[in-house]
Amino acid sequence: MWKKVYEWLDERLGLNDMYTNLLDRPEPKGNWWNTLGSASLFLFVLQGLTGIFLTVYYTPSPDHAYDSVQYIMEGVAFGWLIRGIHHWGATLMVIVVFIHLLRVFITASFKFPRELTWLIGIGLFLATLGMGFTGYLLPWNQKAYWATTVGTQIAGSVPFIGEFILKALRGGPDLSALTLQRFFSAHIWIIPAVLAGLIGVHLFLIIKHGESHFPTKED
Amino acid sequence: MNEETKKKINARYEKELNKGERFWPDSIFKDVVVSLGIFILLVLLASFVGVAPEPKADPSDTSYIPRPEWYFLFLFKFLALYGQIPLLGKIEWLATVLIPGIAVGVLTLLPFIEKSPDRHYAKRALSISVMTIMVVGIILLTLMSEIPTVSADGSKLLGLLQAAAGLAIPGVAMIVLFIASFTGRQTNPRFFIWTTGLTVVSMIIISGMVMNLHTPPAVEETEVANTVVDQIFAGQDLYSVHCTECHGDDGSVAVIEGVEGLEGEKITPINSHDVLYTITDSAMYEVIAYGRPNAGMTPFGKAYGGELSRSEIDYIVTYMRYMWDDRFEIPAEALKPLFPPLAEGEVPSYEVHIQPIVKRYCISCHRAGKENNNYLMTSYEEILTTGDNAANNIIAGDENSYLLQVIQEHAIMNPEKPAEELIGVMPPNRALKPNIVDVFIRWIMNGMPQTAIDAAALFTIPTPEATTTP
Ligand code: HEC
Ligand code: HEC
Ligand code: HEM
Repeated sequence: MWKKVYEWLDERLGLNDMYTNLLDRPEPKGNWWNTLGSASLFLFVLQGLTGIFLTVYYTPSPDHAYDSVQYIMEGVAFGWLIRGIHHWGATLMVIVVFIHLLRVFITASFKFPRELTWLIGIGLFLATLGMGFTGYLLPWNQKAYWATTVGTQIAGSVPFIGEFILKALRGGPDLSALTLQRFFSAHIWIIPAVLAGLIGVHLFLIIKHGESHFPTKED
Repeated sequence: MNEETKKKINARYEKELNKGERFWPDSIFKDVVVSLGIFILLVLLASFVGVAPEPKADPSDTSYIPRPEWYFLFLFKFLALYGQIPLLGKIEWLATVLIPGIAVGVLTLLPFIEKSPDRHYAKRALSISVMTIMVVGIILLTLMSEIPTVSADGSKLLGLLQAAAGLAIPGVAMIVLFIASFTGRQTNPRFFIWTTGLTVVSMIIISGMVMNLHTPPAVEETEVANTVVDQIFAGQDLYSVHCTECHGDDGSVAVIEGVEGLEGEKITPINSHDVLYTITDSAMYEVIAYGRPNAGMTPFGKAYGGELSRSEIDYIVTYMRYMWDDRFEIPAEALKPLFPPLAEGEVPSYEVHIQPIVKRYCISCHRAGKENNNYLMTSYEEILTTGDNAANNIIAGDENSYLLQVIQEHAIMNPEKPAEELIGVMPPNRALKPNIVDVFIRWIMNGMPQTAIDAAALFTIPTPEATTTP
C-alpha cells in the first residue's frame, strides 16, 4: 500500500531524483564546524515559528505593546516559554551566524567557486543584525526605547543624508507610534522575506558547489 | 584566475569527495545533533534565565542611560574611545560611518580582495592575523562597554588604558602586519603568529586591568511588577507613600487635614463612583502625572518634575481600580493582611508589624521634605530618635508616650501655651483602626523590639485561667 503511494508520488514529484540530488550527495570528510550553517537555518526557522505565535497576541502600538507582551508572559499558557525561546534565539542566532561567518573565513571557503555564496552570506549577516535591531524595539520597554533612540541616532550621523535616514527610520524626528509600526513591519515582513529569499539562493549555491573541504598543506 | 587554476581546484575537490562521506546520513546526523543541542539550550535559557523584566518605555525619563543591543555595544565603546582622540575625535561620522562602512565593505568584497587561490592557513597568515585581532578587539570592547572612560574621581587612567587595549595596540599591530606583508620581507608564518599572539595577549591583559580597576557603582534596581497581584502591591506601596497624605489610606478623604497649604480643602473622595466611573485609566494616568496644580495636587510624573515613572503611575492606577472600583474583582492573593494578626500576649516587632503599618499610614508625611515636626519614620532608628519631641514621642513602657496619645485621638497640648496644640491627632485625617492602635501600644509597652526574634522572646504565654476552653 505505502509502496504504491510512494510510487505514485515519485512519478509525479520525482522523489527518487530528489533523494539522489539532494540527500545522497558525496561530501568531503565533514567536521563539526560545518554544522553552523544548518544551525543558523534551524534558528531562522525556530525564530519564524515562535515569532508567528507571538504576533497572535502582540499589538504594535505604544499604548498596548508593553501590556500585550506582559500578557504573553503572564496570561498565555506557555507564552513565557515561547517568548523566552524567541528572545534567546535572537541572541544565539547573531552569535551562531557570526561564528559561521568566521569559520567560512578561516577555512577560506569563500574562494572560487563559492564567492557568490559569500556575498549572499554577508547579506544574510546584515539582515540577521537587522532582525535583531528591529525586534528589540517591539516590547516597547525602557531598554528597547532608548536602545533604538541611540541606534537611530548613529544612523543619523551620516554626513548630508543622515537627517533623511533618521527620519526614514523613525518616521519623524522622534520615536513614535510610527517608528514602532515601521519596525514591526520590517521585523515580521520585510526582513524575513529578504532573509528567506537569500537563504534560498545560499542553499542552492551550496548544493551546486558542494561543501568545501578543510584546507590542507596542498591548498 | 585562469582556467588552469580553476581546473586544478576542481580536480583537487573531486579527490576530497572520493575519500569523503555522504550528505545523508553522515552530515545531516551532525547537523541534527547540533540543532537539537541548540534547541535544548534555548529551552533551558527560557525556563531558568527567562527574559529580564523591564519597565515600560518612558520617553520623558531622560535620566535613563541608553544602551544599544549587546551586539552593538562594541561599536559604542569604540565611538567613546575614538571620541577621546584630539581633533579627529570631533568628526563623529568618521567613526560612526566611515570605519564601520570600510569594515563591512572589505568583508563583503573579501573574495575579490584576497584573490589568491591559496586556502591553507599558513599561506593566509595576514588575513587570519588581522581577523583574529579584530574579533578579540570586538569581544574586549563588548566586555568593557559598561566601564566609563572617566572614573568618578575625574581620573582619565581608565580611558587611556581602554584606548590602548581597544584602539592603539590593535591598530599599530595591524599596520605592522600589513607593512611586513606588503613589503614582502616577511612571509614566515611564525612572524605573524608571534605578532598576533603578543598583540592579543597584551590587549587581554590591559583590558583585564581595566576591568579590575573599575568598581561598578551600585545599580539602582528598578522593580518591575509582572503579575496583577504584584502590580497591586507595588501600586499600594506607592500610593501609601505619595497619596495618603491628602487622599487618605483608602482614598476616602473629603476634607484635607494636616497638609500645609491645603488645610480644610474640600475634595472629591477618589474612591467614589464619581471619580472612578468618570475617569478612564488614561485620564487617571494624566491626572496623576500632571496633578491638579490649580487645586493643589502637585504633578507626580517625571515628565512634569515629579518622582514617578510611567510604570509606577500605571501600578497606582491598577491599585485604585482593583481596590475601589466595584467593576473590578480583586484577586484573593492581593487581599493579604498588612500584618499577621496578633495572638493574646504576643509582642509585635518592627520588622513584621510596625514597618508595613508605618509605610501605609505614616510615611507619606513622615519623610524628608514634608511638614512633620522633623519626625521621619523611614527606618527603625529614625522612628525612635527623630522629631522635635523625640524625648517624649516614644518612651518604652510608657502609655503617655506622645505617639500613643496622638494615634488615640488625644492631641498633645503645648505645656507653655495650654490653648495651643503641640501635636495634632495622627494621622490627621482619619483615626487608625483599633487593631493597628493595639499594635503600636503593645510594641511600645514592650520596649520596641526590632526583629521578630526579639519580639518572640517577649511573648508571654497567656495564663491558663484566661483561656476558657470547654
Ligand atoms: C498635596 C495633596 C495631594 C496629593 C499628595 C495627591 N493629591 Fe490627588 N488631589 C488633590 C487635590 C487637592 C485634588 C483636587 C480634588 C478635587 O478637585 O476634587 C486632587 C485630585 C485627584 C484626583 C482627581 C479627582 C477628580 O475629581 O478629578 C485623582 C484621581 C487623584 N487626585 C489621585 C491622586 C493620586 C493617585 C495621588 C498619589 C500619587 C494623589 N492624588 C496625591 C490633592 C493631592
Ligand atoms: C497627613 C500627614 C500626616 C500623616 C499621614 C501622619 N502624620 Fe504625624 N505628623 C504630621 C504633622 C504635620 C506633624 C507635626 C505636628 C502637627 O502639625 O500636628 C506630625 C507629627 C507627628 C508626631 C510628633 C513628632 C514630634 O516629634 O513632634 C508623631 C509622634 C506623629 N506625627 C506620629 C504619626 C504616626 C504614628 C503616623 C501614622 C500612623 C502619622 N504621624 C501620620 C503629619 C502626618
Ligand atoms: C541566516 C544566516 C545563514 C544561513 C541560514 C546559512 C546557511 C548555510 C548552510 C546551511 C551552509 C552549509 C553548511 C555549512 O557550511 O555550515 C552554509 C555554507 C556557507 N555559508 Fe552560510 N548561512 C548564513 C550566513 C552566512 C554568512 C553570514 C556567510 C559569510 C559572509 C555565509 C557564507 C557561507 C559560505 C561561503 C558557505 C560555504 C561554505 C563551504 O562550502 O564550506 N553564510 N551556509
